[in-house]
Amino acid sequence: MIRNINLIAIRINRQFLRDRRFLVLSLVVPLLLMLLIKYVFESLPGLARLNVRISDYSILFAAYLVHFLAYILSTIVLVRDRVTGTLARMFVYGYRRREIVLGYIAGYTTIAAVQTALVLVLTGYLFDINLTPDIAAIVLTVLALAIVSVGLGVFISNFARNEGQVIPFIPMVVLPSALISGIAIPIDDLPTALQWCSYLIPLRYAVEVLRGVVLQGGSFFGQLLPFFVLVGIGVVLLASASLTLRERE
Amino acid sequence: MTVESLEKTIEIEDLHKSYGAIRALDGTNLTVAPAQVFGLLGPNGSGKTTLIKAICGILKPDRGNIRVFGLEAGHDRYAVRKRLGYMPQTPSLYDDLSPAENLRFFGGGFHLPDLQERLREVLEFVQLWNRRDDPLYTFSGGMRQRISLACALLHDPELLILDEPTAGVDPALRKDFWEHFTELRNRGRTIFLSTNQMDEAQRCDRIAVVMGGKMLVNETPGTIRGRGKARVTLELEDGQRVEEVADYESALPRLLAEYGLGSQVKRISLKRQSLEDVILDLIGEPQAKERQTK
Repeated sequence: MIRNINLIAIRINRQFLRDRRFLVLSLVVPLLLMLLIKYVFESLPGLARLNVRISDYSILFAAYLVHFLAYILSTIVLVRDRVTGTLARMFVYGYRRREIVLGYIAGYTTIAAVQTALVLVLTGYLFDINLTPDIAAIVLTVLALAIVSVGLGVFISNFARNEGQVIPFIPMVVLPSALISGIAIPIDDLPTALQWCSYLIPLRYAVEVLRGVVLQGGSFFGQLLPFFVLVGIGVVLLASASLTLRERE
Repeated sequence: MTVESLEKTIEIEDLHKSYGAIRALDGTNLTVAPAQVFGLLGPNGSGKTTLIKAICGILKPDRGNIRVFGLEAGHDRYAVRKRLGYMPQTPSLYDDLSPAENLRFFGGGFHLPDLQERLREVLEFVQLWNRRDDPLYTFSGGMRQRISLACALLHDPELLILDEPTAGVDPALRKDFWEHFTELRNRGRTIFLSTNQMDEAQRCDRIAVVMGGKMLVNETPGTIRGRGKARVTLELEDGQRVEEVADYESALPRLLAEYGLGSQVKRISLKRQSLEDVILDLIGEPQAKERQTK
């Protein structure tokens, strides 16, 4: 089983490295988006009057970016595997469902880890914040979020027959994550119904951990509950993705 | 598992599969004996690919049974798949990887101890060993088809299931493919393939014609051709020509009985329908019936 998971992960990373345009875009786009966030928010006069420091939000935006990119990438690629018939070929050639799901998670988490590292370095540099003291907690949380995002992507991809059908699923995850995860609007300020809905948003738990550790200066051990909820969501998504991955049309 | 089922590589009973209102398989029955080249013929949309996918366990039929090597194709699919090689209709390979990388990845699932050796053998057979490290997106459609076949041959399976294996392949290589299929058959392997090429049907040990998800016939090419008609022409001494189109077996004896073998028959010519014509007639009959009922 481990061998097959490894073969899938290596294959995914090899494809990623081979596709130069995709490689450059995947690495440059997050950096450009972080730059965009910085300049747009810094130019808003209202924020300065309210005494809001955009640097406080930068690490949360960085987490959001990793979540968003890992989710879209894994959803589209798995659907492409289904459309081109390579997924069916994998099944006939001895790969099992759980190996495929875990192989994709391993492969895309490697890519997400590279993106995470880049985004974090840029965040520290652009917003002039020192992430070093909390780096282990940040990396652990963002990586857990990346794994959840890939799991979510693999799970969602089971409901799409082609790349076109994936498109409606993208805003369905991306927009609620931006609006009710606590990144921009504090969850306590949301209507009660939306506060309940926010419990279903994986990003909420990553935001809680990062806010507690980086912005409020708390210890990671004080944020273990949201961290383990995030990990739990990951486990549930992995199990659901394994069970729902259609082996037989 | 019965002794009888061990003597059959594939057994399909009353298989049904619908996509909405379209019946892709409609009570399909089929038996394939071991060590045969078995050809599945039929027009586009007749249910060939659906049947092939069901045999490989990647399509769940609505009802009916499929047994491969005596095992249930759905429930025992992992055991069945170890023993079969599948070549889908479209190449289904990773374009940004090379042939060697694709084969190593798909062959990896079988944990072959001699993977590198087998890889060389199959790539040499499809004459692409010298291109083994080039990315697949630089290959033509026919070349990808060859890599796809190489992939199916990699673990030297007992049963090869090939969905239109020679589509897009040039004539010289097509000949090589067929020689290889025959050689594999002689080594006891079973080859189950779908094709639209009538000349390929002639090279099969047995052929089944499928139409609208139903098996019209499952016999040897010779027997199927024997079902065809013959045009018998008698030229008589007085210059008269008598012509009759009838069953191949009965036409000539009947005409000779009528006109006698005596001196009045100057010349006899007999033209049999080709296998292609017989198959086209077989396919045409249900289509004509369908048109009539509409």
